[in-house]
Amino acid sequence: MSTTQWSLVEAAALLLEPEEREVVLGDMAEAGERTWRAVFGVLGLIVRRQVTAWREWRPWLAAFGLAMPGSFFLMGASISVSAGVAAWLYGAALTPTKGLDLVCEVVLLVAWSWTSGFVVGSISRRTLWVSAAVCASPCLLCLSEFRSQTLSRPCLVTFLVPAIIGVIMGLRMRRISFPAAVALAVIVTSFLLPTLTSRPGWMSAWAAVWPAWYLVATARKATTAEPS
Amino acid sequence: MLGEFEYLLITAAASLGEKAYGAAIREEIESTTGRSCSIGALYTTIERLENKGLVKTWMGEATPQRGGRSKRMVRVTPKGVRAAKDFYDAVARVSRGASWVTNRGSAS
Repeated sequence: MSTTQWSLVEAAALLLEPEEREVVLGDMAEAGERTWRAVFGVLGLIVRRQVTAWREWRPWLAAFGLAMPGSFFLMGASISVSAGVAAWLYGAALTPTKGLDLVCEVVLLVAWSWTSGFVVGSISRRTLWVSAAVCASPCLLCLSEFRSQTLSRPCLVTFLVPAIIGVIMGLRMRRISFPAAVALAVIVTSFLLPTLTSRPGWMSAWAAVWPAWYLVATARKATTAEPS
Repeated sequence: MLGEFEYLLITAAASLGEKAYGAAIREEIESTTGRSCSIGALYTTIERLENKGLVKTWMGEATPQRGGRSKRMVRVTPKGVRAAKDFYDAVARVSRGASWVTNRGSAS
């Protein structure tokens, strides 16, 4: 197989997870596979992996239960935080109550975004591209329509920074420690407690809360499974 | 109960022993059955068997002939051995009385 042909196989294998990519490419090299058989072999494995992954509930939950609705709610939260910060920067009087509210909003946005990203990364490793696409689609749509005299377009998607960090950590760690998960869940829930019980905004509040408690449940499960 | 390909894979891995890894198992299956074995079928089946606790896998050494890439080593667990034996016994039982079994030897 020439270098160009091998590059084609390597390009196809990019869709595999790093460890599996190494093993599969090694097998192809050892077997001296012909180019097209190798390419179709790799693509066949990718298709089988996706079919297997989508038979479970986790990818559906990550993509359509968290990434898509979460992107709408988090864009709203991003705008709210950005507007508060902008008002403060442009000299609006910031009373202690308003200042505390703003800090709470910032903490909540970071915690909510990170938690959502972490859960998406940890439960949909092989289908992350779908979760990313269904999160990016509303963002791109809203970015194209967004008009504001005081806020720039990136303000709409500030949640993406902690969310992407969360996704990367979720891919690496899968779960966090039980105390950290509980602390995160308590922060998110307590900050959202008034919204959870009030009628307007209750849906976004619950959407924000469940990933944090999901992390608690998975951390708890891991703790009980490994008693040492 | 195991599927046919699962049985082939476990049997190939068991016969290879310490040298059982992806490419070797694939080669063993292709040479003994005369059928093509796709890399997709191989690795999805290995993963399924591992999830069922029938095989155990780990990353092995890298060799120059593999371009310095690691192998995925496979070992059949005691549970996997029992499952393969059950499958073999079932096939042997169900095959009793079949023409190709009773007429074996005289067919050719």
